[in-house]
Parts: sequence; structure tokens; C-alpha cells
Amino acid sequence: MTIPAVFFIDLLTIIGLFVIISMSLNLEFGYAGVPNFGKLLAVAGGAFFVGAVPGRLMMFIFNPSGGLDFVLNNIEAVTMLNQVIASDPSASIIYLLLSLVGAGIAGGVLGYVASYPAIRLRGDYLAITLLAMAEILRVVGDNWPELIGGSMGVRIPDPFRWVGGESRALAAAVTILAVAAVVFVYLELVLRSPLGRALRAMRDDELSAEVYGKDVVRLRTKTLIVGCAIAAIGGALYSFLTASVSARDFNRVTHTFWPWVMVIVGGAGNNVGALVGAGIFVTLRKIITFYKSYFEPFVPFDVVWLEYLLLGLALIVVLLYRPEGLVPEKPTKTLIRKDIQEIAERVRTEASSG
Amino acid sequence: MALSLPLIRDAIIFASLLTMLSTGLTLTYMTTKVPNFAHGDFATMSIYLNLALVHLLGLSPYLGVVPSFFFSGLIALVLYIAVLRPLLNRGANYVILMIATIAYDMILISIINIIADYLNRVYKILTRLFQLKGFDLEFIEQPMIFIVAPVMSILIISLLYFFLNKTKFGIAMRAAIENPSLAEVIGININLTYAFSWFISGGLAGIAGALLPLYMTCNPDIGVRLLISVFAASIVGGLTNIYGAFLGGLVIGLAETLGTGYLSIMIGPWIVPYRPVIPLGLMLLTLLFAPRGLTGIDWRKLLRRELRA
Repeated sequence: MTIPAVFFIDLLTIIGLFVIISMSLNLEFGYAGVPNFGKLLAVAGGAFFVGAVPGRLMMFIFNPSGGLDFVLNNIEAVTMLNQVIASDPSASIIYLLLSLVGAGIAGGVLGYVASYPAIRLRGDYLAITLLAMAEILRVVGDNWPELIGGSMGVRIPDPFRWVGGESRALAAAVTILAVAAVVFVYLELVLRSPLGRALRAMRDDELSAEVYGKDVVRLRTKTLIVGCAIAAIGGALYSFLTASVSARDFNRVTHTFWPWVMVIVGGAGNNVGALVGAGIFVTLRKIITFYKSYFEPFVPFDVVWLEYLLLGLALIVVLLYRPEGLVPEKPTKTLIRKDIQEIAERVRTEASSG
Repeated sequence: MALSLPLIRDAIIFASLLTMLSTGLTLTYMTTKVPNFAHGDFATMSIYLNLALVHLLGLSPYLGVVPSFFFSGLIALVLYIAVLRPLLNRGANYVILMIATIAYDMILISIINIIADYLNRVYKILTRLFQLKGFDLEFIEQPMIFIVAPVMSILIISLLYFFLNKTKFGIAMRAAIENPSLAEVIGININLTYAFSWFISGGLAGIAGALLPLYMTCNPDIGVRLLISVFAASIVGGLTNIYGAFLGGLVIGLAETLGTGYLSIMIGPWIVPYRPVIPLGLMLLTLLFAPRGLTGIDWRKLLRRELRA
């Protein structure tokens, strides 16, 4: 493959990953107004799940007597499992899909458990709790070697290995973009459903949503479970892309702050905004990384901090001068007046005849 | 098991420093009604200011407390005046304000790292995982910080009590907290009182920041690690009462240090990295059973119910 092709496939892959994560945040914050400052929790949770569970299960299936420990003899174990699934595409695909489902469930459970203590309180308590929980999960992943190898991390069986060679990156990209597309369609459907309208009613005015009989706590819980499940699938996909999991890869800046910048700058409340935001920022970051080495010798500090500075400033500028983002949320389409009158008429005649 | 002196000393120092951070956080929460996610970085900025002062000018770290107070105070004031006030004037809700503080947090983190890199590369100062314990003085065979931190902490809360109850401006601030529109009607400049609360909040974080390297190993990301303890302290205290925040700071600081110390002796040193679980756990217990914190519980009523039963 040529270098530009490799570059574009890589770019699309990363955009796809961040689209998944920022759309999940869009569901939570954009639709429902739940300030999830612990996006890292679900992303890392999904990744930790695929680092800890599927490999062990496969060792149990393919090597029940072997005495190889998945973490302690990680390299031998993963090499063996890779040999088993590399020759068998269907096993690879089943492994990939089941792991993603598992990661989604793990993310949903994490979202439910982590938000439970503060779900009934004002959103800021929830934000603080989720942020703290995310940091703790990272500490656990980093310090508990039995889980995912601690600070060393673990390698995991590679579900794209059967594709082989150069096409592996393409297969990973296609998978990630396909998941992103499914999530996009699903969230668009949610947006147009009664649930989506209830979520936005809750976001705009919690009290009036409650007055109309909506259980706000239940809605918030549901939103967080689904949002965290989607983000966990994003985290799992990232691990499959690199075929390894390490707690050191997950941090507050990349997995909480970035998605927030993408959602707010792109435009909260609509998925196209999340798409645009993720596209812009991942591309920008790629370009910065690409040209970084050129002005590295001229400044007495690491250029990466300049990037953080720009992101922070960009977010504040958008909040101050264009709070609706680049792609503003569209008002909900309602039926035209004639249709509503027709329905009212029909109901009235039915009522009088019946 | 006997209490070891170094452990108690560590606990008292940490609890004292934590009270300075948690009272500041609670003060701005009371005025502006936004949890400030950049609060840890106010302290970190002063850690590096003090580091530079100690190494470049040869000052004692204790003298750095004064410039640190003003430096971090100004950083907090910038957040309020340049970002939060325009957002408040436009009627932004608290979620937007929280995001703005997170964005400011990101900006400060990058500035802190740039400063750390700069000091390291140009002046060859150790700026990551460093301490200033070597610059501390000695007082009756104990490090001076063991005396200074608690005295400072008590002094600060006393001064805050005096300010909020005995001065005209402090009373005006309490009025602005309790009922902003009514306070405005009787001629209190709410913006001024709020801005002042941010300055004080940042300043207190600055004092804590100046003293922190005398006690523990510091790194540019220390603000985030402290933030969990600070939020836990404020929430345990009740988030709407600065004396509660003081109390919460003591509870969390002592529990965190003593708890980690004891558990590491009893279970094993592998428990040490899980230290932030203690403040988180106490915070979650508070949220579940007494979401309004220690000062929000009606103790008298609780006692009466207990006596009757």
C-alpha cells in the first residue's frame, strides 16, 4: 500500500473510534443533559474487559490443561491463541463480536454502578462522582497486575489476524467504521423516538418532564447505561486495533476531555455535530503530530502541551461565542397543522360513535 | 498497634493542607454554584511558582506563600472574569460552567507542563517528581511544616470566620450567597463579591500549593490527584458551608493518610496506590446516606430520635 493510503486508513480508523465515543457522550449530554465527566470510565472499562476476559475464556476452551496463565505467560498464550484463530475466520469474527457484546455489557454495568450513588442528585454531584470513579478505575488497571498486566499491559488475541499482512489495517478500519455507522443509525432512531423526545424534555426542563409523568432518575440511568455501553465498545475496538490493552493508554485528556471538545465544538444534541467535531479534531491532531518535529527544536518545551492549550482555548471560545456549536441542533419536526386537525377530528368522531 | 509519629505527622499536615483547598472550593461553589474542576491546578501553579522562587532566587519556601497567594488568586480571578461571568450573564446553566472550568483546567495543565519543561531544560531544575523537603527548617527536631500547616489552616478558617461575620463586605458576601436578587436590590455589588470569592479561593489553593512540596512528591498532574480528595472533603462537609468544608478536609485528610498507612502495615504495601479509594468511598457513603454532608444533618433531631428509641 502507498503511504497516503496508509495515512488515510489510519486517520479514518481514529476518527471512527472518536465518533463512537463522542456520539455516546452526545446521547448523554446532547440529548439528555447528563454531564458525564467520566467518559474515560466506560472507554477504559470496555478495553479492560477485552484485556481480561475473552483471552482467559479462550485459554479455557483451547488449552484447558495447558497451565499457561493468560497474564503471566502472556506472550506464549497469545501466540498460541493467535495461531488457533488466524486460520479460522469464523472463529475470529465470533471472538470479535462476542467480545464487543461483552464489553458493551461491562460498560453498561460500570455506568450503572458508578452513577448509582449520585443519580438522584443534581448533575454536578454526578459529574464529580463519575470523574472520580474513572480515575480510580485507571489506578486499579495500573496497579492490579492480575487484571490486565498492570503497568506492563497485556497483549490480546488479534481478531483481524486472519486477514493478514497489509490488509489488516483495512479490515480494522472497516469494522470500526461499520460499528460507528450502526451506532449513528441507532442514535438517530432514538432521537426520533418517544424516548428521545422525553430525554430532550428532561434536558430542557427537568421539572416539567417530571410533571408530565416522566421518571427522570430512570431516564438518566437508562441514558448512562446505554451511553457507557457504546463508549465501552469504542474502548474495546481501540484495544483490538492495537491488539493490546494497557491502563497507561487511557487518560482523562484523551478519553474524557477530547470527546467533550468534539461534542461541544461540533454541536451538542445532533449526531452530525459529533461526527464533524471528531473529524476536525482528529485531523487537526494528525497534522500537528505530523509537523511537530519541524518546530520542536525552536521551543524549550514539549509541543504536545501547546496542543492541549489550543484545545482548551478552542472549547472556551466556542462556549463563549458560539454555544450551539458548528452544526446547531435542529428543532424537532412535528406534524403539520392539517394532519393534527385530522387526527383530532377522527378521535372526536370515534369518541362520539363509540 | 501503636500509632507511629511520622504517620500522625503526615496525616495532620495533609489534613491541614486539604482544608485550605476544600474551603476555597466550597466558597466558589456557594457563590457561583459551580464545582470548579480547575481547583487542583490553582495549587499546582503555585507549586511551580514556589519551586522557581526557591531555586532561582534562593528564597525560603515559606516566603513563597505570599506571592503564591496572589498568583493563584489572580489565576482564579481570570477564570471568573474572563470565562464564567460572561457565561453567567448569558444565562448559561451549571453544566456549561462546569465544562468551562474543565477547559480552563486543560489550559492550566498545559501551561504547568510548559513551565515544568522550561525550568527543566533552561535552568536544569528537577521539575517532575520532586520535593522541597530539603529546604524545610527544623523546629524541636520536627520539620517546620508540621507546625506551619496546622497553624496556617486554623488561622485561615478563623480569618474567614472573622471576614464573613464581622466585616461589612463579608456580610454582604453572605447576603449575595443567600439571596442574590435581594442583595442586589439593597445595593450590594454581587459581581464584586463573587469575584472576591474566586480570588480568595484561588489564593487559599495557592497557599496550599506553596506548602505542598515540603510535604509530598509533586508532579504536574498532582492537581488531578488532589482533586478527588478535595471534592470528597467538600462533599463530606456539605458543599454549602465553609466550616463544613474545613471539617470535611480534616476527616478526609486524616482518614486518607491514616487509613493508607494502617492498611499498608496490616495488609501489605501493595495497597498504597489505591489511596484515592478512601476519599472516594467516604464521598460515596456521604452521597448515599447524607447527601447534604456533615453540616446538612440535623444532629439535634437525630439525637432526640435516638434518645426516644
